[in-house]
Amino acid sequence: MNYQPSDYLPILVQLGAAIAFIVATMLATHWLGPKRHSKLKDDVFECGIESIGDARTPISVKYFLVAILFVLFDVEIIFMYPWAVNFKALGWDGFMEMIVFMGLLLLGFIYVIKKGVLKWEK
Amino acid sequence: MNSIIALSLFGIANLFLGFLNNRKILMPATLAFILFALGLNLADWNTEVLWFNNMLRTNNLSVNFTTVILVATLLVVAISRGFGDDEEHSHPAEYYAIMLFSVVGAIMMVTFENLLMLFIGLEILSVSMYVLTGSDKRNLRSNEAALKYFLMGAFATGILLFGVALVYGATGSFSIYGIGNFVTENRMGQSEITPMLYVGILLIIIGLLFKVSAAPFHFWTPDVYEGAPTIFTAFMSTVVKTAGFAALYRLLSVSFVGEYGKWVYLLYFLCAATLIIANITAVYQQSFKRMMAFSSISHAGYLLMTVTSNQATTQSSILFYSLAYSIATVTAFAVMILVSENKTSNGKPDESFDAFKGLAKNNPLLAFALAVSMLSLAGIPLTAGFWGKFFIFSDAFKRGLILDLIVAVLMSAVGVYYYFKPIIASYMKEGNIQEITIKPIYKLTLIITTILTILLGLMPDLVKSIF
Repeated sequence: MNYQPSDYLPILVQLGAAIAFIVATMLATHWLGPKRHSKLKDDVFECGIESIGDARTPISVKYFLVAILFVLFDVEIIFMYPWAVNFKALGWDGFMEMIVFMGLLLLGFIYVIKKGVLKWEK
Repeated sequence: MNSIIALSLFGIANLFLGFLNNRKILMPATLAFILFALGLNLADWNTEVLWFNNMLRTNNLSVNFTTVILVATLLVVAISRGFGDDEEHSHPAEYYAIMLFSVVGAIMMVTFENLLMLFIGLEILSVSMYVLTGSDKRNLRSNEAALKYFLMGAFATGILLFGVALVYGATGSFSIYGIGNFVTENRMGQSEITPMLYVGILLIIIGLLFKVSAAPFHFWTPDVYEGAPTIFTAFMSTVVKTAGFAALYRLLSVSFVGEYGKWVYLLYFLCAATLIIANITAVYQQSFKRMMAFSSISHAGYLLMTVTSNQATTQSSILFYSLAYSIATVTAFAVMILVSENKTSNGKPDESFDAFKGLAKNNPLLAFALAVSMLSLAGIPLTAGFWGKFFIFSDAFKRGLILDLIVAVLMSAVGVYYYFKPIIASYMKEGNIQEITIKPIYKLTLIITTILTILLGLMPDLVKSIF
């Protein structure tokens, strides 16, 4: 199989169509829609409580730790999906390898708990 | 190979040992772990095995390189002490664990058969080193060093990976022997030549030269070496350098040997440039640690010379030189840690040459160990460093790298000047250093490294016949 750059032309067409759709709808809404300005209409949040202060406040580093740990253990699920799909084809070898992987991950989890990362008030 | 698995598990074990609230068992445990891994590694002697679907290859060459790396790690761990008693800000268990993990990366870099394993090994080693460089959290210099190292290192890794991708595109193989076959057939006109291959080779060489800090990719080295805690500087300048040169040598001698006529010019001039820049700049340093950083760059230049010559003896020259250099460097840093902590200036350890003034008066052992290590680094006869240089120069002579040889001989003479500065300070200058108390294991390490340096200087065949 020999691919030429011209074989990818449909992707380019698709990209062009997507951009054209966005540009067309945005132009259409600006052109067709009614324009009424008022203090309430131009608020950042039209409903709910009035916003106070700046969004950029310092946040405790604990949130970041929890967020990173969440990502870590979340990504591992993505690794398990292809394994689950090919569970029978991979057989016992695949099972043992997944056990090793999960074992290492579990050790990491125990380490995190013992280190007290998830303890909120220390 | 089994040492990779063992060290990974030991690293995890070390993390959990940290919960025992007994910091004293950490160092002996780590020493035992490394010795065990060393035993496993030596058990692979005289076997040639491909592991994990041709991802790693163990043979005598890889066993030798792994041994040098593990010995260097062993020495560095033996001179590590406590990491301060600050409960909140120092984590000795984690430091030891990260050191073990980084050794796993280094071993992968010397056993790789597939370029992907080279990349993974390099990343394991580098990421561990970024963390260890910044481990002195309250020190601004340490933070700066870690950030610089990380940003520059990430770029270099990206360049290396781009080179790997281009070489794969040109040759259709990740395996170093597969690439080697393609390049050789290329020379004989059986396969089609593309400029992509040359760009790929160039980018891979640049990526690896950055890691071993050869000029002109050396600018991160002085700042990082100075900012990092001294114990990790010692680790960085021995283990990372050995692993980097092993990887560079394997790649160039197996994969790209068919294009020797192309890349030899690049390394030929970079080698001369590295030697000149490093040695001339080292003369102007006031700080011992910074001088050692430039000395490490200059040793990269010498090692580059034998890689450039690409002789049959190159691998044993690299091994011997790395071993001699690692032993001498660890000794020098070990003495420096004691001396600089003993004498503080402005509340920080004094790392200038002045700190060594009058060392010989009350601490003859420390001064002698320092003197021997400096002589070895300078390449004075009867030390291991002399034979290291001798083997490398004879390799270069066999290939006829005349420019490099002239520069290297001149720069060795320059090296003698700055390596003698601490010796002169400790033996001939007046100073008031009281007797420094040394722990037995620390003392033992200093004695062993000093004896090894002299022994290898008297009888280089002891290890040269094995390599």
